[in-house]
Amino acid sequence: MEKIRILLVDDEEHIRLLFKEELEEEGYTISLASNGFEALEVLRSDRFDLVVLDVKMPGMDGIQTLNEIKKLNKDQRVILCSAYGEYQQDFSSWVSDAYVVKSADMRELKQTIKNVLGV
Amino acid sequence: MNFDSILGKVIEISHSNLEIEARIRAILNIVSGDLHFDDALIYTLDKDKRLSCRFNNRLSLLFDLLADYRCHVGEGVIGTVAQKRAPLFYTLKDIPPRLGCLFYAHLDEVLPRYKVFAFMPLADDSFLYGVLLAASSTREAISPGEKIVLSILSRELGGIFRTYDLLLSSKKRITELATLSELGRILTSTMEPSAILENIALITAKALSASFATIKLDLAFIKLSGQRFTSGSIANNLEARVLDLEAQASRLRQPVGSAEALTGEAGASGKTFTILAAPITARDRILGTITLGRRLDHPDVPDDQQDRYLLGMIANYISSGLDNALLNIKLRDALRELGDAQRRLIENEKLRSLGEMTANIAHEIKNPLVVIGGFTKRLAKTVHLDPSENRYVEIITKEVTRLESILAEILNYVKEVPLLLERCDLNALLDEIVYLLSSDKGWSAVQVVKHYAPDLPPALCDVQQIKQVFINMLMNSFEAMRGEGTITITTERTDISEKPFIAISVRDTGGGIEPAYLDNIFNPFFTTKERGIGLGLAISNKIVVHHGGDIEVKNTPGEGALFIMHLPCQERPGAGPGGAPPQTPGGARGERPVRLKDAQ
Repeated sequence: MEKIRILLVDDEEHIRLLFKEELEEEGYTISLASNGFEALEVLRSDRFDLVVLDVKMPGMDGIQTLNEIKKLNKDQRVILCSAYGEYQQDFSSWVSDAYVVKSADMRELKQTIKNVLGV
Repeated sequence: MNFDSILGKVIEISHSNLEIEARIRAILNIVSGDLHFDDALIYTLDKDKRLSCRFNNRLSLLFDLLADYRCHVGEGVIGTVAQKRAPLFYTLKDIPPRLGCLFYAHLDEVLPRYKVFAFMPLADDSFLYGVLLAASSTREAISPGEKIVLSILSRELGGIFRTYDLLLSSKKRITELATLSELGRILTSTMEPSAILENIALITAKALSASFATIKLDLAFIKLSGQRFTSGSIANNLEARVLDLEAQASRLRQPVGSAEALTGEAGASGKTFTILAAPITARDRILGTITLGRRLDHPDVPDDQQDRYLLGMIANYISSGLDNALLNIKLRDALRELGDAQRRLIENEKLRSLGEMTANIAHEIKNPLVVIGGFTKRLAKTVHLDPSENRYVEIITKEVTRLESILAEILNYVKEVPLLLERCDLNALLDEIVYLLSSDKGWSAVQVVKHYAPDLPPALCDVQQIKQVFINMLMNSFEAMRGEGTITITTERTDISEKPFIAISVRDTGGGIEPAYLDNIFNPFFTTKERGIGLGLAISNKIVVHHGGDIEVKNTPGEGALFIMHLPCQERPGAGPGGAPPQTPGGARGERPVRLKDAQ
């Protein structure tokens, strides 16, 4: 069975590194993008089972990126991941499949990924 | 007798610095001593415009007999002289059988002693001041020279009386002006309204030599400690009369006085009073009344007309002034409120930018924190550590978790969360929360007493946020009581500024709040707890204020604290929208079908 592919989008290098290691340990194949433009670029040529998208990013933020991704492929599953929960009130974040608050405790993110993927 | 020297003396006296009354008496003594009249008396016009005997020479016999006697101008000899302003001279044999009212039974026994009489008008070119009566028992006649001396002397006396009148009226004017200027000073001062009114009563009582002066306000146009301001004391048995006159003055819109003399304290003989009341009107509105009472035996002879005039004037003067003073005070309060609002606005603006900054900082800190915590855990998983090193990892992880929750709470406080308002049964919400909290075994020693209003109207609120407030409140009480005691929850419908509110109070038995802390309990980051960052009450307060309500704290040190939240509510069913549709007036018209033909 082919490995589940996840695209991780975050502007912080160390967060990318941490999440990559943690999620690879779970058996996922991880690709990285450091901003929204890069993520869209990758998504145009490649297919992923899931995008884990940071919200607060310079240039194009996570919410804008989310909308562009959905324009590209309305079935693309996306989890928004932010330092805090305040964007949950923003209705434009509701098109994502889930919203996770970043934490050193990775259990919530891992569980949410499983839920969204239905595995 | 040397007329020149007599006239010289008279003129010297009349131009001297002696008291006015002393000058008059000195001249009367000259008439009696140097011109040999046994009696030299002066009649003057009293306040009723009647002639009464007021001045006499030292050795006068007639004065005692005549002192009580008054006559109108034109009545009797005295009255005739006053009216015609012409002197009359009589010798006994000339005297007609009746001399009008002047002579009556008592006099008949004394009069035969006298042989000549002179009646001289005391007047200047425009006014009559009185009449001089000179009577002699030793003289047979009055010589033409003496008549001239008497006539000059009378004119001189007239001059003195004119000065006397001027002096009296200027004294009155000075008193009036002094009173008004004092009132003006009070009215333009920045004293509290009640102090202003008390001072007005005091000044009025002083100016009119009254035993008491009292101001009663009819309109509650400004919040005052009372409606009556009194200087001096009103005798118990006069109170009813005072109230009666106040009502009369308000009704008639003019000064009124008690017609009869009233006896004050029972048993205190001679303490008779007159009472005067005047309305205080401003812009056709009766603000109240000013009333004064004066003892009749007061050395200043009461002049009812004059008093009414002066009291009316004071009332007029203070009415506009008082109106202004009260408006000023209102204005001052409004300005103070405006200043407060401005300060609050600046404070809010400061807090807002502080909030933005805090949110940004919290964001920037969160990512490194996640990285630190995350990699620490990874390190612990991948590297073999001995037990003490494992403990260090555990400590780092725990502290990272704590920092994360602190940051979340701070962000929760500073962020602006929109309200999702919905109708909410607060009694049910409280029940739910109490059930959740008290199912924890830590709450086993806590007794929760509920006093809910049975027909509480629904509140209009963001249920999730209000839930957080209630939980904060109950947890605070729980912690204040260290898990042991009684929490009393009360809900009731109340009105604030005529708007419907629900009051939810939470009372605990946790010993209350240290009074020194009271001012700070709603401030962010103020805490007395060992763990906790002091945002619970700050967030709760922010949420409730955001709802248009407030949180009030009542503290009983040593017993407990009482927190009362006020939340706006929907009116009772039927009283507002959603209730029974209001009856439309003229409904019959609506039932009548419109006929197009009629309209054409």
